[in-house]
Amino acid sequence: MVTLVSSDGVSFNVDQKVASRSALIKNMMEDIGEDAGEIPVPNVSSNVLKKVIEYCTYHKDDPLPQSGEDEGTSAADKKKSTVIDDWDYNFLQVDQEMLFEIILTANYLDIKPLLDVGCKTVANMIKGKTPEEIRRTFNIANDFTPEEEAQIRRENEWAEDR
Amino acid sequence: FDHILSKSHHQELSYLSEAVVPLLKRDPFRMLPYEISLRILSYVDDPKTLGKASQVSRLWHLILSDDQTWKTLCERHQYRRLSAAQRITYRQSSRLASIPNVPENMEVDSNVLESMYDPEPLRQVPLSYRSHFKHQYLVDAACNKGGRLAAKHVTSDQAVVTSLEMNGRYIVVALDNSRIYVFAEDGRLIHTLFGHVMGVWAITVLGDTLVSGGCDRDVRVWNLKTGECLQILRGHSSTVRCLKMVDERTAISGSRDNTLRVWDIRSGVCLRELIGHDLSVRCIEVVGDICVSGSYDFKAKVWRISTGECLHTLEGHYSQIYSLAFDGKRIATGSLDTSVRIWDAATGNLIFVLQGHTSLVGQLQMKDNTLVTGGSDGAIRVWDLEQGACTQRLAAHDGSVTSLQFSDNRIVSGGSDGRVRVWDMASGQYIRDLSQAFDSVWRVAFKEEKVVILASQRRQIHMELISFSPKGEDKE
Repeated sequence: MVTLVSSDGVSFNVDQKVASRSALIKNMMEDIGEDAGEIPVPNVSSNVLKKVIEYCTYHKDDPLPQSGEDEGTSAADKKKSTVIDDWDYNFLQVDQEMLFEIILTANYLDIKPLLDVGCKTVANMIKGKTPEEIRRTFNIANDFTPEEEAQIRRENEWAEDR
Repeated sequence: FDHILSKSHHQELSYLSEAVVPLLKRDPFRMLPYEISLRILSYVDDPKTLGKASQVSRLWHLILSDDQTWKTLCERHQYRRLSAAQRITYRQSSRLASIPNVPENMEVDSNVLESMYDPEPLRQVPLSYRSHFKHQYLVDAACNKGGRLAAKHVTSDQAVVTSLEMNGRYIVVALDNSRIYVFAEDGRLIHTLFGHVMGVWAITVLGDTLVSGGCDRDVRVWNLKTGECLQILRGHSSTVRCLKMVDERTAISGSRDNTLRVWDIRSGVCLRELIGHDLSVRCIEVVGDICVSGSYDFKAKVWRISTGECLHTLEGHYSQIYSLAFDGKRIATGSLDTSVRIWDAATGNLIFVLQGHTSLVGQLQMKDNTLVTGGSDGAIRVWDLEQGACTQRLAAHDGSVTSLQFSDNRIVSGGSDGRVRVWDMASGQYIRDLSQAFDSVWRVAFKEEKVVILASQRRQIHMELISFSPKGEDKE
């Protein structure tokens, strides 16, 4: 067992196996030894940390991703790259702030599969949308002048027809 | 709070929702660090969406001008890396003729009935992955739907096109009536090479050098720049059927006299004779110091070029070998016995027997773990060489597959049914017919963004060069 302490001082007791999903914590535990005791996780609030632990618990038996290597470029990887499995999909049905916090935490704690699935989820929120639809999705203000907007539209016309 | 909500009216709630919902939304690119933003974009694999996304706001536009995103996209689409692309000469040489339809520097040839070429404007070497992606994307789109006729030549030769070679500079066509036509890469006819007295059955090109051979048993060395014949290499006692250049100085020929010969093409000396086959040598492939030959004696042989030693004899086919591919490690042989065999070049051991074709396998191309074969049964098969399994079977042509070539994205095939067809590599889907239907297609080849077709139509030879280069690309 290891205890993770969130930025707002909430402690979570988790299995070492679960905590090892995070490459950062895994390395820490290896450095400190078996009796890691309390590991502070600053910049991660308890509600986000709770979610992330939920993810790590569900995925505790998955094979660990190969360290340092990004996804291959083979055709099979290419296909896999945009698919999100059902459990992960439902897990990430949260409000945007929580989703982005989860991504930030996955990045900070170095949990590559969670980072990937989080990024894919955001990518899927962008795909196939018009600029206005994207703005509405994320509540973004259009800060272009009409001239700039026209210019940028022209720049991107080539991708339109296929 | 729940209590307040349950007491509220529908109207109040919907007002509340309108006010609250946008507050729950966040611009991900403001909240997340730059490298995560790029990571997100790397999962958006369609350029249309990326184009739209760059119109969202200044911040989004800025992030989407980052070349990392486009680099990833190039990789996803299996477009050649920019560094490699830069090495290709994108028509950097100054243009000789600027007026279309006026072939310059062309020798008078009464056999040429029609000759036109329409070169493209000079293209800039891409400076960013974005412009590189854009270019490749447009080429890709044109391959699937579009393209233009960049050159067309019709000759009155009542002959068979025996070979076609295309390198970055030249397109060389050999005929069984002893002629060799040389075109510049833009499709301009620059030479007709006369010299052979009978049909030319094999050619090989390296840089500005062409080596040719045929029924007159001579091997000739030509300068493609000037059209001059530099050497006549004599020694074979029957038709020269296959040729390969080893390096700038060395060529290997295979002949119906059952031997192979290694030539120093500068001095014109035969360095050694490779003896061992019992019948005609039909095909050869060379990687480094190793040469593999396939023969009508049902066998293939692996030779060390520098010593002339036969390292392995590959036995197993029970009919003539017609086609061969060799990548330095693996050898693929195609035979009249309808099978394809995969061999380990280092040990000479058989790895797989690939069965499925119902007739002669005359066309083979291998790259990494992919082998594509074409047969006289009209079928094209794609094989995974790790599993030894057939992954695609295309009913490609009515009649035989006379020519095929594949790249990461597609297969181009020509058939005796007169069709030139384009197929999607990954799915095996038919994409389109290129060009009109001919009586028969002799050869097709492609390089970068151009496809050459050699076909017969009403007993005339048609050469068509189709270009997929985008026109009027803006400079970025």
